[in-house]
Amino acid sequence: MIKYLATASLLLAGAFLSTSLALAADPGITDTEIVIGDVEPLTGPPALLGVAASIGHKIAIAEANAAGGINGRKIKYVLEDDGYVTARTIQGVKKVTDVDKAFAMLGISGSGQSIAVMPLLEKAGIPTVIDVAPVKFLWEPPRKNVFVVGQSYEEGIIHLVNFLAEKNPGKKWGLITQDDDYGVTVRDGFDTVVKARKLNVVYSGNYKKGQQDFSSDMLQLKESGAEVFLAGGIIGENIAMMKELEKLNIKPVVGIFWPGRVEPVLKLMGPAGDGIYAVDYVEPFAGAAGKAFLEKAKGLLPEAEMKGINRYSMTGYAAAKVLISAIERCGKQPTWACTIAELEKTKNVETGIMAPISFGPGVRFSNQKLQIMQSEFSTLSFKPVN
Amino acid sequence: MQYFMQLLISGLAIGAIYGLIAMGFAVIYKSTGLVNFAQGEMTMITAYIAWTISTTVSGNVVVVALGAILAAVVLGLIIERVVMRPMLGEPVFATVMVTIGLAVILRSSINFIWDAYPHGLDVGFGRSIVRVGPIGVRTGQIAVIVTLLVLLAAIWAFFRYSKIGVAMRAVAADDRTALLMGISATRVHALAWAASSVIAGIGGVFFALSYDLSPAMFQLGLKAFPATILGGLDAVLGSGVGGLLIGITENLAGGYLGSGMKEVAGFAMIIVVLMIRPFGIFGERDIERV
Amino acid sequence: MRTGDFKQTYGELVTLVDSPPVWLWSAVLVAGLIAAPFVLNSYALSFLMIILITVVGTLGLNILTGYTGLISLGHVGFLVTGAYAYAVLVSKYQMHPLVGFLGAGVVPALASLIVGAPSLRLKGLYLAITTLAFSFIINTVILEARWLTNGARGISVQRPEIFGFSFDSDAAFTYLCLGFAVLTLFATLNIRRSRAGRAFVAIRDNDTAARVMGINLHAYKLFAFVTSAFITGLAGALYGIYLSFVSVEGFPFLLSIEALAILIVGGLGSALGAVLGTILIVLLPEATRFVFSLFSAQIDAVFTTGAQELKSMLYGLVIILFLRFQPRGLVGAWHDIRRMWVNWPLRY
Repeated sequence: MIKYLATASLLLAGAFLSTSLALAADPGITDTEIVIGDVEPLTGPPALLGVAASIGHKIAIAEANAAGGINGRKIKYVLEDDGYVTARTIQGVKKVTDVDKAFAMLGISGSGQSIAVMPLLEKAGIPTVIDVAPVKFLWEPPRKNVFVVGQSYEEGIIHLVNFLAEKNPGKKWGLITQDDDYGVTVRDGFDTVVKARKLNVVYSGNYKKGQQDFSSDMLQLKESGAEVFLAGGIIGENIAMMKELEKLNIKPVVGIFWPGRVEPVLKLMGPAGDGIYAVDYVEPFAGAAGKAFLEKAKGLLPEAEMKGINRYSMTGYAAAKVLISAIERCGKQPTWACTIAELEKTKNVETGIMAPISFGPGVRFSNQKLQIMQSEFSTLSFKPVN
Repeated sequence: MQYFMQLLISGLAIGAIYGLIAMGFAVIYKSTGLVNFAQGEMTMITAYIAWTISTTVSGNVVVVALGAILAAVVLGLIIERVVMRPMLGEPVFATVMVTIGLAVILRSSINFIWDAYPHGLDVGFGRSIVRVGPIGVRTGQIAVIVTLLVLLAAIWAFFRYSKIGVAMRAVAADDRTALLMGISATRVHALAWAASSVIAGIGGVFFALSYDLSPAMFQLGLKAFPATILGGLDAVLGSGVGGLLIGITENLAGGYLGSGMKEVAGFAMIIVVLMIRPFGIFGERDIERV
Repeated sequence: MRTGDFKQTYGELVTLVDSPPVWLWSAVLVAGLIAAPFVLNSYALSFLMIILITVVGTLGLNILTGYTGLISLGHVGFLVTGAYAYAVLVSKYQMHPLVGFLGAGVVPALASLIVGAPSLRLKGLYLAITTLAFSFIINTVILEARWLTNGARGISVQRPEIFGFSFDSDAAFTYLCLGFAVLTLFATLNIRRSRAGRAFVAIRDNDTAARVMGINLHAYKLFAFVTSAFITGLAGALYGIYLSFVSVEGFPFLLSIEALAILIVGGLGSALGAVLGTILIVLLPEATRFVFSLFSAQIDAVFTTGAQELKSMLYGLVIILFLRFQPRGLVGAWHDIRRMWVNWPLRY
């Protein structure tokens, strides 16, 4: 009996020792491997964004691995599905950090989900680069280990409205937004410009998330006589709105935001979707940079995943690239502390698909340069506007 | 007036789609006593199959329509045979729960078989716009209203005059007695599932025609279920009318009170109506004996 | 030798537990749960938290749907009201967390009086639709009442500190949830044994007969609504704290359906069923994940893009198969096993 106890306590002590030894190095890193974790909606309608983002991460990781990995270590990508349910995002992050022992994180799901996991990430201290849903809350106040690549919805809409206001002086304006945090930030940005430029807003709608029929909303827009219209829907909503406008026989100047700027939308809008303005911080796929990106992806991705690519793949790719290059700069023995320090030193990292990315001391937001694009029905693509 | 008319017509068009799916709910409830929580998902699958036919086989309206109906029948029969029939005689709650499990499977199968991108159903019909004065309507919207009205008449005649229709009413009224009279309950159930799948599927295809296909389409079921309740769960025709009422109410509320009120208005009307008629507008009062 | 189960007095019929071993095993279970935070990693612990929070919520729904037979498709409405009541009181107005929890119970309870009113006239699915309507309308109300709720922006919620004891760590918060779950379990079990509980069941089984026996239908139906909403609201507060961020989006309609699923899979009308059902439904995705990991190489090779969806299809399939072979739910299975254990080798 005593013998057993002795063995047991020895085993226990051994287990303790080995865990404490493991603690000396940061989790997620062995001599041959580095684990990068991610949680995205991979099922249900939001999979459109989650799958695309994860594909972007995969491209950057495959690219790094093809070049021999990070200083000889191959990157292992661990991806969890949250189905766009916040509670599952929290669990996904816990799984990735505790069970899979990720070294760093990319992602993470939608804006509400990112906000909800923020305390968790902060407590864990794991280096994280967020790319999917850049909202101010994620970098204000700056958190030591959380970096955000992208541009805020507010700035995006401010840029777009300023552009449209200059092009269409003295016109009447209409706006419709979704009744969630995304919609609120869009509205905030819009209001800023409205105040500054004293725009004449004649219609302001607020639709319920999941609404599919926009006939009454667009009819109100028509009645109001709006000449410039900001469609704050995401994908299906914007399509439905454009079709309604076509039916009502009006053609205001239309602006949309990047969450809805995916090419298949143009095909569905039909001729009604010709000439709509969009704002984004990644290059359009129709341009040289976009084509080069697709070409690169073709060599690194299985054929079946190619059709999942959209603008979120670009933002995902850029974020992964920034993270990988920071880990790389840490040399032979990367640690969390070093990775965070190097992320902070990120200066003009080129990704080829958006303006060079930089962070700095106390700056956790890359503040990407925005550009305006216009859709073209004949080629089903977005072209930059100068 | 013109504003009102435009709202009314759009309301009728979307209401007709709700109505068709609501009839799908009612057909199953009337003949099996179950609420099919997978109705919206079945509708979505039929629409996606119609889209696949249009892109792979032929974009001809007739081919797509017949193909979609056939697919809906097969879908309904398979579900009845494989999933629902084994549950015959089990507690109602467990059986309804099975439809919830089924809904999960069907919903996931969209991204599994197809993808999460929106798609447009193009059959060379339904997208052109007819203008009567200042009011614009798509031909597909007119077609769905007409289809609903025709179906309402046909179903009324079916339940009133055909032998099977009478049998279905008998099973609904008292399945044990119906069995004694030599009516096969399983056959009636199979027929109900197939019919429900087709009627709702037609609604789904029309939706895809006027709007677009997306994996979020199953939410139509959530809009149509209240319509069924409004019309009366056991009233097939009433459910169709219930759909129209909800569509109109939503659009009028959206047009006159603002977009935020759209969703709420439909529900508010249901609560008010149920306070006055607790079994729906056309539903039959349950007579209880102790 | 044990013989069948004979109850000789009325008191024996309504005792909380009918044999000492049950007390023993319950004590072992509680001890295990208390030890759990020391043993489990934070991922496993998050499942324990979710299970405990969900147990509170489903026990709340069980009073209404399981005991009284009033189907609710809108319980997420009470959940979100409770979460907001807590968030507004504690995060916005810096009140004591206990006041917050009280509010999280009372506000939904008041709301339930409005929702419960139609139940005096409606039955079955017709009632279900008014609760569904409530859950949609309450979302609109929350989004519109920006001055109170921040509208769509949501409210951040910290883990509470009560009387100097901080529930910030996962372990401590698990204990808080455990406390609520145990209290709720005792509360519902005792309600079931009381006069009110018997009235609820009588209403469920046949409301006309219940009325003839002198049960005030209106009062008891409303009472069921109020207690159910109160408990569900508490679960909402806990869920909001768990999410650390309360917004309408964090409480999707799906939760209402899932709560019903838990009750049915567990076995309708039984507190034990609510607990067992919660454990099964919460852990099911993890179980399917495990099954998947066994074949992950093959599955990834065949379905590069659809593997995740396949997983949720499997989830649906398990529910269907379970109900096919065990339509009385987990409680039914439990009773079968227990009977077999006691009566073996005889069948009865």
